[in-house]
Amino acid sequence: MVNKVYIFTRVVGCTMSSIEQKREQKKFQQIMIALISIIAIFSILGSGCIQSQKGFPIVVVGRDSASGSREFFWEYVMKKENFSVFYLEKNSNGGIYQSVTQTPGAIGYVGLGYVDNGVKALTINNITANPANVLSGTYPIARNLYVFTKGNATGVAKEFITFIQSTEGQVIVQEEGFVPIPTTETYNSTGKSLSGILSIGGSTTVFPILEKAKETFMILYPGLQITVSSTGSGAGITAVGAGTVDIGMSSRDLKSSESNLGLVKYTIASDAIVLIVNPENTYVDNLSLAQVKAIYKGEITNWNEFS
Amino acid sequence: MQQSYRGRKKTEEDVGKEDWKPLRSEKPQQPFKKFFHSKKIIKEKSIKTVLFLTAISAIIVIFSIIIFLFKDGYPIFQTAGLWEFLSGTRWNPTGEPPLYGAFPLIVGTLLVTLGAMIVAIPLSIGSAIFISEIATPKMKAVIKPAIELLAGIPSVVYGFFGLIVLTTWLRISFSQSSGESWLAGSLLLGIMAIPTITSVAEDAISSVPREFKEGSFALGATRWQTISKVIVPSALSGITAGIILGIGRAIGETMAVMMVCGNPTYGLIPTSIANVFAPIKTLTATLGIEMGEVATGSNHYHALFGVALLLLIITLVVNIIATIILNRLKEKQRSPSKKKTHLSISIKQQIRKTLVFTIIMLCVVLLLSSMGILLTACIGLVVGAVYYLRKKVSAKTGQRIAFIAIAVAILTVIVILGVILVYIISNGAGALSWEFLSQGPSNLGRSGGIYPAIIGTLYLVSGAIAIALPLGVGAAIYLIEYTREGRLTKIIRAGADLLNGTPSIVFGLFGFAFFVLYLRMGFSLLAGQITIAFMILPTIIRTTEEALKSVPQSLREGSLALGATKWQTIKKVVLPPAAPGILTGAILGIGRAAGETAPIMFTAVVFSSFIPQSFVEPVNALPFHLYILATSIPNSARNQAGTALALLLLVIGIYLVAVLIRNHYQKTMKW
Repeated sequence: MVNKVYIFTRVVGCTMSSIEQKREQKKFQQIMIALISIIAIFSILGSGCIQSQKGFPIVVVGRDSASGSREFFWEYVMKKENFSVFYLEKNSNGGIYQSVTQTPGAIGYVGLGYVDNGVKALTINNITANPANVLSGTYPIARNLYVFTKGNATGVAKEFITFIQSTEGQVIVQEEGFVPIPTTETYNSTGKSLSGILSIGGSTTVFPILEKAKETFMILYPGLQITVSSTGSGAGITAVGAGTVDIGMSSRDLKSSESNLGLVKYTIASDAIVLIVNPENTYVDNLSLAQVKAIYKGEITNWNEFS
Repeated sequence: MQQSYRGRKKTEEDVGKEDWKPLRSEKPQQPFKKFFHSKKIIKEKSIKTVLFLTAISAIIVIFSIIIFLFKDGYPIFQTAGLWEFLSGTRWNPTGEPPLYGAFPLIVGTLLVTLGAMIVAIPLSIGSAIFISEIATPKMKAVIKPAIELLAGIPSVVYGFFGLIVLTTWLRISFSQSSGESWLAGSLLLGIMAIPTITSVAEDAISSVPREFKEGSFALGATRWQTISKVIVPSALSGITAGIILGIGRAIGETMAVMMVCGNPTYGLIPTSIANVFAPIKTLTATLGIEMGEVATGSNHYHALFGVALLLLIITLVVNIIATIILNRLKEKQRSPSKKKTHLSISIKQQIRKTLVFTIIMLCVVLLLSSMGILLTACIGLVVGAVYYLRKKVSAKTGQRIAFIAIAVAILTVIVILGVILVYIISNGAGALSWEFLSQGPSNLGRSGGIYPAIIGTLYLVSGAIAIALPLGVGAAIYLIEYTREGRLTKIIRAGADLLNGTPSIVFGLFGFAFFVLYLRMGFSLLAGQITIAFMILPTIIRTTEEALKSVPQSLREGSLALGATKWQTIKKVVLPPAAPGILTGAILGIGRAAGETAPIMFTAVVFSSFIPQSFVEPVNALPFHLYILATSIPNSARNQAGTALALLLLVIGIYLVAVLIRNHYQKTMKW
């Protein structure tokens, strides 16, 4: 008992009469009510001050400024004009896809291989993005994918590139959702035996093709070991230039600053750039190139404008 | 005790001779003995030299980081101009013409940090007061490790949580078009800064002398009055230092910010300070996103190094300020005599009045410009009401209200921790299985497991610790055992402190420029190991120093008195009891190394499924695997959650071991 009184005195600071205590209690309650109401008013005001946006605003999503895909998009769609200041950057095709699936108002651009039921692919000038339209040249936003070697390819690297460019290799390109290059040559492995290590690095876009091709190629030549890593086009070109990998993958051509590396270019596939929106977006199914440009410039900011 | 030993150490140069004196005086020197004797001296000297070299390693590292960043960043200042780089309002390095204006990135970094501090400071100070002044020992034993746990969650896991949960929640509940915003970044960074600020502030509050508290109670002050008028003011400089360290951490954070802030491509300065849902791009996020694909040697590449240099300078300045404040605090504690201020009290009051007035006017102007007259008036009214109530409230009621506020703060922190843990555990538990842990990924990580990533992380971490532990322990031994406090130790400690404050992404860029390109290592296990080793070096130096300091001086003196040499004393007497402390430091280093993504992103890791056979091959690592899954591989939600949980369990497991070791030895070791 004594102990309790002691603790009480220590906690409260001094002893109180019961009347004092009651008065204190009442005052405390009043103040708490006042405080809570102040907080409530404050939060209501706060939420009122946040302007909830009207209509269905467009969220523009795209690749980062170091990306090969963005460079292509900027040249062929934007005609080298600036993007909207609200253009949100993602550093991979998958990142754009992810963002579009998560955000109802988003629009993004990805490679053909990334289009599936999770997003809605838009037609451009009423032309669907598919391999046939890319090959015939009617789909307006398409580009080539490359691999690079330091000097002309030799040995294992040469065999591997020949394999990818053959009909067998191009089947893999097609399976991965890319557009094959026209070829009639078949790959002949009879009588050859390859061994050693081949290292490949570079573009995240090209990565799935070479990863799959590697698996098939290693079945043909069991003594061979191939590693494929996705580091980005720039890093891939740097690495092959520095000799740390044998083959560099890239979704863009060499830049002027990279022209002195002594690299040789091989085209292995084509790719279409597809505009995707969230499946909840019922406002559009088709855009003209001019409309795409207007959206990415920030001139059209709301999907309402299409209804 | 320390002092007396330091006094004795003045004869440190000829410590070997001194120890052998008795022998010499007993009988004449024999050639053999002489040879033996000189060999001993050589051994002692060479050990000292080696230790000295390890001690200056931290300084060498920080200097080479600065040199390499400068070397690769300098060209951009030439092409774009330093002023244009700092003040240009558009970051468009691949445009025509290319623009390298880092100003919006700097503003973005500062705004995110400002928001983070608004979130973190009240919560952390509340938690610190609660832990050190209010909590019972039992509560303290639960809450302190819980807050430390917040520090242990890897930043990529925070980013994952932010990307999936926080941004979606913000978007829906505030009916915005996108949740990726300044607010999301600030909330997340605020949470991440809480443990840093709390632990430093708590140390500062705990070290306030008991007499202050007792004196205040004796004068009849309530507990809250004592806390608010006596304890917090006297711990203020420590709390400030904690806040500054928290700011440093927030500025340097990469992964989480990059995943939730939206990253508008040219950098974006929000139109008003109230526009918290504007997307924002920070210095770190720019590096994290653009570094991977940039063409080496291009202007864009140099511009990114310029950004890294800028980031390093900002964080160094912030950390130096914190170090100065903390050092001053230490000096003050040593010599409590106050310097007399020349200002009279009335002038001081006047200054204070003007300061308060300017701040209020600034706030009013800011509010008016961003929210309009009506809202400003309302806010003014609310503030006035609170001020009026404050005067009316009695001490006891004030105490209750304050304690309720503190309880709300600590509960908020615990709830945040709980929500993050519950989300990750409940989502990840389904994916976690033996197959998941023991198989390689397939279908780009959507199915299959994470075995190569686990192995890669273990490789990276073990290599890093093998490099950092000898360096760090050697440096600490040199600092504590071989030198007196002086200019040299100050410089070495400053080097370690600066290294500690260097953002992890800067280590990544340095590793890329130095190991990958300059030394031509390529993306390799070794490059990643060394980069991580440099990052955890200061942690190991710091904890080893503490461990060595805790060994009583009398043990060393006893050993030396028995004729042991300096090195024998260190090896046989000092190191064994300090081992648990050193081990704790090493484990903390391992925990940090296992969770970091930014330093290995450009030096060692690739998203692939092979296990390296040699040091020159690249690896995959858990945090990087999670980052790629979460940001680049659609429809991999199950494996994302599984990887996040595996990473969290790994890192928390490591920390738990450290805590257990610490607690075990704290209990068993009594001097």
